Amino acid sequence: MKRAAPVVIVLALALLPLLGMEPRVYLTLTVAGLAMGMLIFLVASGLTLIFGLMDVLNFAHGALFSWGAYAGFSALLLLNRRAGWAESPSVLLNALALLVALAAAVLVAFVLGIVLERAIVRPVYGQHMFQILITLGATIVLEEMIRIVWGPNDQVMPVPVSFQGSWDVADVIVLRVPVIAISLGLAVYAGMLLLLHKTRVGLIVRAGVESGEMVQVLGHNIHRYFTGVFALGSALAALGGLMWAVFRQSVSPAMGGEQLIFAFIVVIIGGLGSVTGSLVGALMVGLSYNYVAFLLPKAALGVNMALMVLVLLIRPTGLFGASR
Amino acid sequence: MRGAPTLSPIAQRAERARRGPGPTVWLRVAALALFALVPLVIPSFQATDLAIKIAIFGALVASYDVVIGYTGIVSFGHAMYFGFGAYAVALAVGRFGAPTYGHLLVGFLSGMVVSAVVAVLIGAFSLRVKAIFFAMITLAFAEFSGILAVQWSALTGGEDGLSPRLPGVFAVAYDGGRVFGIPLTGKLVTYYIVLGVCAGLFLVMSRFVVSPLGRTLQAIRDNELRAEALGVPTFALQIASSTFASVVAAIVGGCYLMWVRYVNPESALGVPVMLDVLLMVIIGGIGTLWGSLIGAAVLLTARLLLPDLRGLAVLLGGSELAQRLTARWLLIFGVLFILVVFFFPKGVLGTAREALRRRRLGATPES
Repeated sequence: MKRAAPVVIVLALALLPLLGMEPRVYLTLTVAGLAMGMLIFLVASGLTLIFGLMDVLNFAHGALFSWGAYAGFSALLLLNRRAGWAESPSVLLNALALLVALAAAVLVAFVLGIVLERAIVRPVYGQHMFQILITLGATIVLEEMIRIVWGPNDQVMPVPVSFQGSWDVADVIVLRVPVIAISLGLAVYAGMLLLLHKTRVGLIVRAGVESGEMVQVLGHNIHRYFTGVFALGSALAALGGLMWAVFRQSVSPAMGGEQLIFAFIVVIIGGLGSVTGSLVGALMVGLSYNYVAFLLPKAALGVNMALMVLVLLIRPTGLFGASR
Repeated sequence: MRGAPTLSPIAQRAERARRGPGPTVWLRVAALALFALVPLVIPSFQATDLAIKIAIFGALVASYDVVIGYTGIVSFGHAMYFGFGAYAVALAVGRFGAPTYGHLLVGFLSGMVVSAVVAVLIGAFSLRVKAIFFAMITLAFAEFSGILAVQWSALTGGEDGLSPRLPGVFAVAYDGGRVFGIPLTGKLVTYYIVLGVCAGLFLVMSRFVVSPLGRTLQAIRDNELRAEALGVPTFALQIASSTFASVVAAIVGGCYLMWVRYVNPESALGVPVMLDVLLMVIIGGIGTLWGSLIGAAVLLTARLLLPDLRGLAVLLGGSELAQRLTARWLLIFGVLFILVVFFFPKGVLGTAREALRRRRLGATPES
């Protein structure tokens, strides 16, 4: 019963705005909010692994987000120029183009994640202050590298035609990209739950977080697992970055920094290390932002913060956080 | 703990009085003299600007060091108070008719009061949660204040910011004739007033950290549970410390406005300033109040000089990649920063002090 309480509260809060608007508007806003929440969840899920599970304050997460977006951007651009996959009317080719872009983003970020973890994060496990500083330095370097490779200006993302625009389902406007984001987010959520709770790898990682020495004594190379988790978290950041870029139809070198704070807020609201928590947190942030932006446009800016402060006041460990 | 001989406070004071002012005191006097001489010796505006900004940011970073280094609270919202100070003075001077000294004073005072109130509120709300949560909450507040300043453009001028005229001797047009053959302009008067305020703040802070309260704060930093068990009201003292630092930051913010005569959200509020302050405190050394000056000097000088590296691209053959590389001097800066954090985690002053102590210990192993 106690575990269900947060869910009930979320549902009650989600229905509350109905008092102030028509049901049709409410549905449109809800769909938009869910989509936005899922986009945020894609970013936050990687942070849940790195910040929540491994307790590493990775400020470079935003830079990895941008790198993912740019890697996918390059792949899409290349496919479109060589074969015209993004402009062709064929849904299959469009989907294939997006898949290739996703693969490119994930691959690049995975490799970057391994390099980052090995080179700069490993020496500072357990030291928050230095994690912040080192990853801040890494952020500066990674962002500047983007500016060197791709140039400092915003660029237009070649979104495959089939995924542009929106569907109109019974007067409710449903944008196409967010639908992909929602399904991708659900897949990521399911995959992470399975990985962490049903596989041996997840068991070892969770045990390693509790007591790294013990796991090492039992004969597992905990460092290798942590590198893997870090790289996986980076790959998820890239996934979020690419989807965000497709949603916004543009890429810019500083795009990651703006999302980082969102992601941190979500992870804190949800509770450190809880995948379900960050999903709920992301949806709460997405929904409340959309509702408040409609009802009180000026207040929308502070709503995420207010949400975080409120949650932390009621539950200092976040909605689903274990009281460590 | 620090390897100091265990003398009673009275004996320590007597010992110090016998030895006279130590080398560090002379170093401080020399630093102040250096700052005071800059506008007289080097007439270029760039040098004067750099010097006073080093003083201003040095004081700001020192106030942050009181929080992060001496109290052990990781806050990402410190630059917000700096912005409050700057905006308070800008609003008080710029929005109520012809500026007078009274307006200036009211600006400073209101900035300090607002900062203190916000610091107490944030502390009371969020110091009870885990340290890392506190960092994120303060970051969120700082971000929010930046957004607020942009959005509430009727009051704050939005992205464009405010550029008020200053009263009396601080006004650009002020001409005080010549003193010892040097033209006494408004800018020069402002320089010395701001320098004086910053020096005074440094004195207050260096006194604060060795006061009984400062010592207790360090005890909390080193072992909070133990301090609490000894009956120290840790929660209240942590709030007191962060409030003190926020008030100092607000004063420094007012000084910044007086020198620059301009404030906008990007230059005074929110995350970019915070990052600078964080970098400066690390470069100087966490927990070394005077290292703040070094940190500010290094970062601000690098800011000024590194973009000139573009000339280097010509030497590298003038290829496009080389040009792009040197145009992005921040990249070089980022790499340097990572190296500094790795190899000098205690910062410049922290590392220097350690080396000095080691040498002294090596000379007289008994002490």
